[in-house]
Amino acid sequence: MNLRKLLRIARWEVTKNAGGVDKRTIAIMGLAVVAMVAVAAVAVAGGASGLDSGLYRVGIEESSPYYAPAADDPAFLVREPSTLAVARGNQELRFEGTELRNRPVTQKEKAALGEFRSSVDSYNSRQMASEDNQTAAYPVAVSLVYLEQRGVTDTVQTSDRQSSSDGSSGSASGDGSTDGSGSNGSDRTGGSTGATPTGSDGGTASGGLSGLGAGLTGGAASGTPSDIQPPFPFESLVLAFLFIVPMNFVIQAYGSTMLSERLNRRGELLLVSPVSRFDIIAGKTVPYLLGAMGVITAITLGLRLSGLTAGGGPVAILAVMPLALLFLSATFCGAMFARSFKELTFVTVTVTVSLTSYAFVPAIFTDVTPIALISPLTIVVRDLQGQAISLTDFAFSTTPPTLTALVLFGLGAGLYREEDMFTQRALPLKMLDALSGRIKSKWSALKLSALLLPFVFVAELAAVALLFALGEVSIPLVLVAVVVIEEIAKSIHLYAGFASGRYRRSLRAAVAVGALSGLGFFLAEKFVAIIQLVQLDDINTGEAAFITGTPPDGVSPLLVTLLLLAPLALHAVTAMVSSLGARRNRRSYAVAVLLAMGIHFAYNYTVVVTLVQ
Amino acid sequence: MIARRDLSSLSREKTIVLALVIQLFVAAFSSFLVVGLTSLYDPSSVESDGIAIGVTGDASQALFEAVAETEGVRPVAFDSPSDARRAFDAGRVNAVLTGQYAATPNGDGKILQVTATAPEGSIRTTLVVVQLRTVLKTLERNERFERANSLERVPLTLPPEADASPYFSFTYTVLIPLLLFLPPFISGSVAVDTVTEEIERGTLELLRVAPVSLLDIVDGKSLAMVALAPAQAALWLLLLSLNGISVANPLALLVFVSAMAAIVVVFGVVLGLQMGRRRPAQLLYSVLTLVVFGAAILLPEHPATTTAKLAVDSPTLLTYGHVGGYVALAVALFAITRRYVDRIEPESL
Amino acid sequence: MIDARDLRKEYGDFVAVEGSTFSVDQGEVFGVIGPNGAGKTTTLKMLSGLLEPTGGEVSVAGYDVTDTEMRQQLGFLPEASPLYEEMTPKSYLRFFADLYDVPESVATERMHDTLDELELEHRDRKLGDMSKGMKRKVAIARSLINDPDVLLYDEPASGLDPLTTNYVIEFTQQLAEEGKTIVFSAHNLYHVETICDRVAIMNEGRIVARGDLDELQDEYGQREYHVYTTVEVPDAVQENGHWRRVVDSMDGVDSVREAATERGGGVLDIRTEESSLEEVFLNVAESETPGTRYVEDA
Repeated sequence: MNLRKLLRIARWEVTKNAGGVDKRTIAIMGLAVVAMVAVAAVAVAGGASGLDSGLYRVGIEESSPYYAPAADDPAFLVREPSTLAVARGNQELRFEGTELRNRPVTQKEKAALGEFRSSVDSYNSRQMASEDNQTAAYPVAVSLVYLEQRGVTDTVQTSDRQSSSDGSSGSASGDGSTDGSGSNGSDRTGGSTGATPTGSDGGTASGGLSGLGAGLTGGAASGTPSDIQPPFPFESLVLAFLFIVPMNFVIQAYGSTMLSERLNRRGELLLVSPVSRFDIIAGKTVPYLLGAMGVITAITLGLRLSGLTAGGGPVAILAVMPLALLFLSATFCGAMFARSFKELTFVTVTVTVSLTSYAFVPAIFTDVTPIALISPLTIVVRDLQGQAISLTDFAFSTTPPTLTALVLFGLGAGLYREEDMFTQRALPLKMLDALSGRIKSKWSALKLSALLLPFVFVAELAAVALLFALGEVSIPLVLVAVVVIEEIAKSIHLYAGFASGRYRRSLRAAVAVGALSGLGFFLAEKFVAIIQLVQLDDINTGEAAFITGTPPDGVSPLLVTLLLLAPLALHAVTAMVSSLGARRNRRSYAVAVLLAMGIHFAYNYTVVVTLVQ
Repeated sequence: MIARRDLSSLSREKTIVLALVIQLFVAAFSSFLVVGLTSLYDPSSVESDGIAIGVTGDASQALFEAVAETEGVRPVAFDSPSDARRAFDAGRVNAVLTGQYAATPNGDGKILQVTATAPEGSIRTTLVVVQLRTVLKTLERNERFERANSLERVPLTLPPEADASPYFSFTYTVLIPLLLFLPPFISGSVAVDTVTEEIERGTLELLRVAPVSLLDIVDGKSLAMVALAPAQAALWLLLLSLNGISVANPLALLVFVSAMAAIVVVFGVVLGLQMGRRRPAQLLYSVLTLVVFGAAILLPEHPATTTAKLAVDSPTLLTYGHVGGYVALAVALFAITRRYVDRIEPESL
Repeated sequence: MIDARDLRKEYGDFVAVEGSTFSVDQGEVFGVIGPNGAGKTTTLKMLSGLLEPTGGEVSVAGYDVTDTEMRQQLGFLPEASPLYEEMTPKSYLRFFADLYDVPESVATERMHDTLDELELEHRDRKLGDMSKGMKRKVAIARSLINDPDVLLYDEPASGLDPLTTNYVIEFTQQLAEEGKTIVFSAHNLYHVETICDRVAIMNEGRIVARGDLDELQDEYGQREYHVYTTVEVPDAVQENGHWRRVVDSMDGVDSVREAATERGGGVLDIRTEESSLEEVFLNVAESETPGTRYVEDA
């Protein structure tokens, strides 16, 4: 790495494109942004009807008290009540006075009724707001308090790790094992974790999102029942969206520039210049990373300065960085794999969708469970809410995506050479190339298994996040997901090695690389025992996912040793099984991996059933 | 001819399969979001005896009645707030409501002060709070009726509750429009790609040596892309109906999707020819398409609403008018673009 | 200057180049010729460090080719010179000058000198709007921006019109005269004949013959004598009122002369035609068998 050359390439990447995207494009983009703001303003000002406008037709006479609420709500088209129209399916509801005269049968009719009920309710609220006697109009004042239920085991702890680890001492193995599944809970200390009296000043029941809640919804501050906001992540959603959207524009431009290096062998001349390919890649990436971070910083500052959020500073910006890196690295890899712009478009869409869901879905649960920490976006949302973020939380959230991004860059860089860059090979073959390019000797099996661990980690965390909401059913599902992810990660590079002829296809070689792959995976898994720090295993699903990584507490040292070695044996055996299949051909590889998954699943299931309960 | 070549090259590259998979993924993702979120609220997702709410304080009678009136929750009365708190701690009740009557600051009557205690950091917190809100709103309504004399307008009684699917409105106003608009959007994007790729690789020149005009080429490419969109949309409609979601007016919807596809593809082609390079063209395409789509809210009916009304079978004359308008616009744009392309000197690309 | 020993390149099961051994001295123009797919481009790319050889050793200007420092001494011109279409020649050359650590003042001067010599106008026009010939000139200027000692030119004249082709060839010749070491690949043998000191003929990944042109001529070439006579002699063809017979040796010429005299005529003219490199090349290709004879052993 040569920083000077790297920066030069970065500078030229910017100037080159400044020439490429001409003034006309910039002007149109500017106009488009202005137009977008204008449209948003009009929409907010209520100049536009909702998406559901005219969805339901209701029959109400003008004399009915229900006429006004129905006419006020654009979702309803008010018609003359007609039994014939109801029979024909042209009216969903028919009222006489305030009496519903048809029995809702179809889904649509039921939905219309539910919708109308809430419509009348909000009509009432509007009426009350204009009452002179506000005490009679709002006879109930509420303050909402969140308290921990100490005697309840399914409570998810959000307290700091330190406070619970002093509960029942560490483990004999010194591996940082935790005290079971939080059965004795933890003593809450400090005001921030105690009761949070809110409500009387309105809208603050949403756990710290007060400023934003008021800002975005324009709601007045009063403590009536309607003001209660469940810890629903509406604001989190909006915020998360705000931070993710700019990424998509950045990666589109980034993907284009990377792929156009490959078209017509354009990049060849850079490769033959006295600059290493890492400098080239880094140099071409830095401007886009800076661009993305610049936009993020602007958004954060904008939110902060306009008073929409309570907090937001360096922590939020830093937490977005791994995400930006992840978007860029995935796009880089995609641009190295894609054969045409068409394919690149699909790659970009895939990257956008999958990474958005990775970042987005867990962040929805920001105020609900610590599982949300899987996504760095959670850190962002919390920081914007003005909550303090511990270093361990930050590390837990940002380390896996950062490592994954680095691995992705590494894999893509493996293809950033004359032999692979300009050839038009099918995607799966390129993928195998990217892996086999990293293979130097049989020890590479160990290295690759270890290197792929961040992937495994992120994938498993995402699986946990997606499945945990299902409750008890989710444990076997998570187990299946974990087994599939881990076995593929351990063996895919072995298959690449055999297919490309980097490993000899002998029985001995297959056993050796299989064992090494298992060992590499085991070592990396132990090394990344960071999961322990965050006590994700308080949640059963989390525990199930990382069963091979964390020996439970309260067992004899002998058993602990056994439990430590058992995963090693497991990983080695399953990797060897896959390896033996991989040395023949694709079909036998597929069969062998399935077999390995079966073994792995049986092991995990036994451990979960016998030890966790 | 060229349309066929483009279509076959698409299918050969398996990208079309990829496109479908991605769309499926997007749809699954958005459905997951909604289903997941709604299940956080859905009272039926918890155990059958519902949420136990402890009531205590001066106003415990009023609270008790309000809880009893609400579905999915059951009241447990406590004599003192500390008893209630102990029960809460032990997990025997999921929430506690403590009510006291208090004088208002300006002294014109009494107000019911309620302190609601909800569990912190539980997966069920959201649901508990939602139910608390329902209870408290019932309480508020009851209290209002008691004070009706002091009110100019008595609140309306609510229509009966309906066991409506919480996803109904989402399905028709978001999911179906999303599924139907994605194919045209991707078609337009691919149209930008095919045009700019030919220009950047210089293969447009080779094509010109063959006895076809630039117009033929553009015609072929755009027709292939336009044809793809309704085909995918039809697939979605089929899948939806297999999933038990009935979609009305499928023909009108497909005509609508075709018109949309024609509009965006023509737009993409023109952008591609104008810019000549993918990056700016693609950037402008996505930004402008989104802006125009957003700006369509200024129309009497947003395209998503048009789709929703057709799909849910509540179309009005206005709805059909919009569909007709889009078709007319698509035809007109297509004609104008053909004239424009015909005048382009291929050498200038 | 360049030393290649037993170079080998495999792509999976496919062997693109094997057993390539040659050396090029300073100031020499070395031509690599052969049909498409013979391994010329692969050889040049291995010399440039773009491709890592599967086997063998290669050093350029005293550096191992994997050393990035080596590239500082190198000017590489790929067969199709893709440019950044949105840049102007000036900014394009500055960009590369920057990558090669050429100080700005030196770069500007060198750029204008080279472009002057190449007679390239419109230095602020976008590369995308330029003709192929102009683009090629810019690419050549780029290969010279770092004032390299070694130039690797892959088909420098391919795809250009005859006028520009001649221009490019002459310019290359001029560079050789200035003392640059040039490795040059081509399938148009006329160009190689014009400027190369020595050539290597490649076929199917192997160097099947190499040496200077005279040596190759002697080994594979033929000399033909066209004897024009006033009367018909056996095996002669009539041409513009006289007869022409082609023979391959001086003895042949003598026998034709005798035959003509016998028939009461005489010899009008004798022209010597040496076989071109192209014919040499075809002969080599025909006689090419594994274990080829080498004209000159390194």
